Amino acid sequence: MNRLHYIGKRLVMTALVTFTVILVSFFMIRLAPGDAATVMAGQAGFSDEAFMKTLRAEYGLDQPLPVQLWKYLGAVAQGDMGSSYVRRQPVLAVILERLPNTLLLDAFALVAAIAGGVWLGGIAARRPGSAGDGVVTTLSMLFYAIPQFWLGMMAVLVFAVWLNWLPPFGIETMGADNTGLARFGDVALHMILPGMTLALYYMASYARLTRVTMIEVAEQDFVKTARAKGISERQVARRHILRNALIPLVTYAGLQASILLGGSVLVENVFSWPGIGTLAYEAVTERDNPLLLGIFIVTSVLVSLFNLATDIAYSLVDPRVELG
Amino acid sequence: MIRFARIFFAKPATILVFAFFIAIVLIALAAPLLFVRGPLTIVGMPLLPPGAPGFLAGSDVLGRDMAGALAYGARISLLVGAASTIGAVGIGVLLGAVAGYYGGLVDELLMRVTEFFQIIPSFVLLMVLVAFLQPSLGSTVIGIALISWPQVARVVRGEFLSLKGREFVQAARTLGMRDSRIILTQILPNALPPILVVGSMMVGSAILTESALSFLGLGDPNLLSWGSMIGGARSAMWVAWWTSVLPGLAIMATVLSLNFIGDRLNDALNPRGQR
Amino acid sequence: MLVSIQGLTAALPPVADRPLAIDDVSLEIAANEIVCIVGESGSGKSMMAHAVMGLLPRGVAVTGGRILFDGADLLQESPEAMRKRRGRDIAMIFQDPMAALNPVAAIGRQVTEQIRAHRAISEREARQQAVDLLSQMGLNEAELLLSAYPHQLSGGQRQRVMIAMALSLSPRLLIADEPTTALDVTTQAQILKLIKKIQAERQMSVLFITHDFGVVADMADRVAVMRLGQVLENGAVAQILERPTHSYTRALIAAVPKGTCAPLDSAEGKPLVEIRGLSKTFRRGGLFSSRGAVTAVDDVSLTLNRGETLGIVGESGSGKSTLARCVIRLLEPDSGAVLFDGADIAKMKSSRLRPLRRRIQMVFQDNHSSLNPRQRIGDIITAGPRAYGENKAAVLARAADILRLVGLNSESLDRFPHEFSGGQRQRIGLARALMLRPDVLIADEPVSALDVTVQAQVLKLLDDVRRKMNLAMLFITHDMRVAAEVCHRVVVMRNGKVVESGPTHTLFSAPASDYTKSLLAAIPGRGRL
Repeated sequence: MNRLHYIGKRLVMTALVTFTVILVSFFMIRLAPGDAATVMAGQAGFSDEAFMKTLRAEYGLDQPLPVQLWKYLGAVAQGDMGSSYVRRQPVLAVILERLPNTLLLDAFALVAAIAGGVWLGGIAARRPGSAGDGVVTTLSMLFYAIPQFWLGMMAVLVFAVWLNWLPPFGIETMGADNTGLARFGDVALHMILPGMTLALYYMASYARLTRVTMIEVAEQDFVKTARAKGISERQVARRHILRNALIPLVTYAGLQASILLGGSVLVENVFSWPGIGTLAYEAVTERDNPLLLGIFIVTSVLVSLFNLATDIAYSLVDPRVELG
Repeated sequence: MIRFARIFFAKPATILVFAFFIAIVLIALAAPLLFVRGPLTIVGMPLLPPGAPGFLAGSDVLGRDMAGALAYGARISLLVGAASTIGAVGIGVLLGAVAGYYGGLVDELLMRVTEFFQIIPSFVLLMVLVAFLQPSLGSTVIGIALISWPQVARVVRGEFLSLKGREFVQAARTLGMRDSRIILTQILPNALPPILVVGSMMVGSAILTESALSFLGLGDPNLLSWGSMIGGARSAMWVAWWTSVLPGLAIMATVLSLNFIGDRLNDALNPRGQR
Repeated sequence: MLVSIQGLTAALPPVADRPLAIDDVSLEIAANEIVCIVGESGSGKSMMAHAVMGLLPRGVAVTGGRILFDGADLLQESPEAMRKRRGRDIAMIFQDPMAALNPVAAIGRQVTEQIRAHRAISEREARQQAVDLLSQMGLNEAELLLSAYPHQLSGGQRQRVMIAMALSLSPRLLIADEPTTALDVTTQAQILKLIKKIQAERQMSVLFITHDFGVVADMADRVAVMRLGQVLENGAVAQILERPTHSYTRALIAAVPKGTCAPLDSAEGKPLVEIRGLSKTFRRGGLFSSRGAVTAVDDVSLTLNRGETLGIVGESGSGKSTLARCVIRLLEPDSGAVLFDGADIAKMKSSRLRPLRRRIQMVFQDNHSSLNPRQRIGDIITAGPRAYGENKAAVLARAADILRLVGLNSESLDRFPHEFSGGQRQRIGLARALMLRPDVLIADEPVSALDVTVQAQVLKLLDDVRRKMNLAMLFITHDMRVAAEVCHRVVVMRNGKVVESGPTHTLFSAPASDYTKSLLAAIPGRGRL
């Protein structure tokens, strides 16, 4: 089965999974007590029964559940996820406005985590039991135990308040009105603290994984063969050990996607980063169901696509994998 | 048994860490005795630094005793950590065992369910669950258990699948043993080590998750936990470092000691994984 | 002398069961000769090979002696100098070619990488040399092979690739560490022939490590016998074979199954087990996979009488193990009948099957994983009767008797599997099977994982037990020699089908099919031992 066929099959699976996500989330959210009408009425200051009835009719909440679901599915297929109760704007628009910020942050964190983790893990694996190994292992264990939100606060305290090196929150300097390169630099500066805070936890787990994997691979027979052929140690490390250690690392990256998005919620909150993490939090506390549902759908589609990408990467890295 | 102890305590730090963890547990248990007035009672001036007379760890934004709050917070963290992990492991082992041993449709179903949990950002799901059930200690425990069990199930399923093919399990079948007997006496005891390791790591991550929830204000509103202490100290962060640093250190130290113990368990139960 | 090893000693890490891996070993290899080191597991023979290459595992260190290669002491050379020698002056091939090849690199790359590590030539030129080498090794379509990956090749092909790599720079010494142990018997014969051929062509020296005296008889010019790190005996192969001086050597040679065909028993009445048209196909992939199916057993019919041992012989993929598992109902056959004492158990429901199950028992191959590592022996062997509701105390009493029958004492009941050796664990597995007083015993490669001296003991035990308890035994093996030693009749299988069957004596002296003939011809040391 060739690659194109495989991709096609996986896209179908992605659609199926997304559908399931929509289904489950829809029912879960609809079944929550305190329906939207109550929330909205509460916001408007009215609790008049007639008013709530009008609201319900307007948002289609008075119809039976399966009908609501059907209508919703039809709308989603056309890209319409309804309107946010609270913001009175189309859900998709609200999400898309904030999505790039989160993607930017998460991408930065993922790259930093993988690069840093693999580098540190490689150092530790080269000489197990040495001082270098001890330091890396201890640091990894430390970062694995730190609450991310607290780390963020401490980072702000140290780097923004005490040392005044980096800005403490937001995505850009307020009111600065930068454009082009200046704006890029400003955003980048703002991204460092939240990005590194987000990355450190995953860097720790990557370092551990890399270390264990490389030690295991180094014990394999084919590494012995490589040495028996008289190849330089450097080539053995690169072409034989690292190359084979990549395989579980790629798989692991795939698993990280949804966890990263979840971790975003906290970090974005601490740093007031305007992404969908904070959006999700707001939607939960405001009981803004269409928005919440929309966030679930968008994130699950993104994660599925990311998983597809890592699967393809995996098949490129490991020739033993038979696609399909 | 002796071999286990030898590897478990191989690293010199292990005894210290183990003792430290026991100390935390003891403090948590003794909290009502040490701080009789409870964690929420205002007992003095707000924002007193640590070392002020009568305030070993200082006082918080409202004038509550930090030391007492930290001790009571330990109860919440440990309770949630243990309870949610037991729940997650219980569900995970049950479903994973059945799926791994019997395979077929049950297995396919389990795989789809775990995939679902893998795709949805679990923390967001947790927030929704807790909001749905109304924030409380119970909903926190249930919520964390519900988002954690798939991980256990996956590990258990994998172990059962591989153990099922081992010759001593096949031998048990030829001897006429019934399935339930085989699962309980042959497979489960051999699947225990990775379950224990996953479980111990899970307690640590449950504590982190609980603190995140209460930090965001989604924890039990009537209880004081380390996370809610940090959340409440945001405004005073810059002038009174101890209000946010100390609870954070408490979380870190507890989770670190749990992860360390989990690591030692892993080495001791799985001799291949040494070094 | 090309190689002169003098007083070599290497120490094992403290946790090992003995202090020295290699104990004051002296050995010489002349130019243009094949020297075999033969020994059982733990003899240190493999360590010797690794020591010469300078590839001793972590924790094992040379503590004394010299390894002179063309006059230079390899142990004194710098790491860089030693690296240059590897692959160029001395090359090594290993036991398991699947594990020994980098799974993510193409074959061509792996061959050229070695050439280019020692010679400054372009990738293009190196590839051309690779193609020539692979063709010389008997690999067809070598060009295509360059872009293939190890998992796409067969075991024999992989080993030929390894040999090609080893020879690419025309080394003067080739070290072969049990290179055919993981291969099928016919493939083994081909590879051994190949090694002999290239040795003669290139006038190369070969250090050949093996556990099989049959291979020694076929390959060696000179042989050294090792045990527990020491060389016990050393000399020209003809001399050692005909006039071994050390008792251990004598035991090793005697332990090789020599095909003393057991006399023919007269069949007793109706067959106890009758298999008719049994077939089993495995679908590859999951529920939704479109990949092909593998027919493991294809319309097989045979009979087994009480008191007889029927051997099922075949190479890997022949379906013999699958067949055994269908008979004992660990697998359910797709079609056909398995008549046990008249009743067809092929597709019987578990509730009806249960009382019959105890009458057919099995001894497994891998003694490491055939016993639950967390249970005591007492619990393991009494598990069967207890599952059928027998009283525990009564069962334990019987257990002690059965243990004695298999050659272990009753103290073993309280111990754990890891406290026993491989041979002892097989005896425990046998005890477990016998506790249920079965009529049929299926032995699935019961001695394949055992050392040759232990193998002989276990085979004798199986035969004794069969006679004492009047069992019918189904004996699965890939080793013709073993089959000849214990089986009355033999069935030869290939690719799921029965190729030939008949009394052992007849099959061995006058085989009808070509395949059987090739199997017999492939037996190492045939006629020389």
